[in-house]
Amino acid sequence: MPQSKSILALCRHAPYGNALAREGLEAVLACAAMDQIPEVLFINDGVFQLLEQNPEAIGEKNLRRNLQALPMFGVETLHICKKSLEDRGLTPDQITVAGAELKFLDNPGAFIANFDQVLSF
Amino acid sequence: MTLHIVNQSPHANNALGDCLQAYVEGDALLLIEDGVYAATGQHDLPESNVYCLKADAEARGISIKSPIEGVDEVRWVSLCTEHNPIVSWFK
Amino acid sequence: MSNLIIDGREIPLDKEGFLRNLEDWSPAAAEALAAQEGIELTEDHWDVIRLLQAFYKEFELSPAMRPLVKYVGQHLGPEKGRSIFLMKLFPPSPAKIGSKIAGLPKPTNCL
Repeated sequence: MPQSKSILALCRHAPYGNALAREGLEAVLACAAMDQIPEVLFINDGVFQLLEQNPEAIGEKNLRRNLQALPMFGVETLHICKKSLEDRGLTPDQITVAGAELKFLDNPGAFIANFDQVLSF
Repeated sequence: MTLHIVNQSPHANNALGDCLQAYVEGDALLLIEDGVYAATGQHDLPESNVYCLKADAEARGISIKSPIEGVDEVRWVSLCTEHNPIVSWFK
Repeated sequence: MSNLIIDGREIPLDKEGFLRNLEDWSPAAAEALAAQEGIELTEDHWDVIRLLQAFYKEFELSPAMRPLVKYVGQHLGPEKGRSIFLMKLFPPSPAKIGSKIAGLPKPTNCL
């Protein structure tokens, strides 16, 4: 199936306080399974999804571990808003995702404008 | 150019702030539902291309401060067709 | 689908034949699950079953077809990292049938 529209998933929320982060991941995997591979941008509290985490303590599945599967599903570049990191006292060198290329964006707005469809999670 | 739609009160969470962080010149911002509480003139918003759904503002007793433009549903639809992509800031 | 009986013990399956309790998995359970699909397990099957379990351990999710092909290619070489190889082992839907036999949850993003 040819890719007809470019899709961006905006991941804006921290991993465990509500279901949005997981819903975003599920949507991205579903798109990828149908050969409509989206781009992904972690912005605002969404950057917290990328930190090392140990959610067994609260009986949740490890979202970061799931995110590391994205390159296997064809999502090979993860975009990350640099300002969102800075606002939270984080630096790019604290973020690693095995197998994925990380791109830190200075201007997320200009990046968002490139897409046909933006899904917000 | 992107149309950003915000439906959260600026006093409840940072949806509006997050939106403005991703806002670039030439984009448009539409305030709906509890988002209309940002249309009172007390909040830093872009100087142009800011719209507010009139029905939602009226319902909440909010008067829309110029230069924010009050819009009806028909204008909302035309904003959606004039802009691409559309980004929802709903939480 | 009927439950499995292994060594006199009944192992419950869901209506699509996946293990209800993932800790019920054993090599004997895999043989029985495969038999229900009309598959006799060979060394090639076991290679892929072990990789499916490694994938699940690494990412905490069951792979769809594309990631399974990629993962098999990375670990068993490009000759085996092809849909046709997996289709022959676990027809007609390798990610789903393979996950079932390997004792993984049903892939949520699998068509």
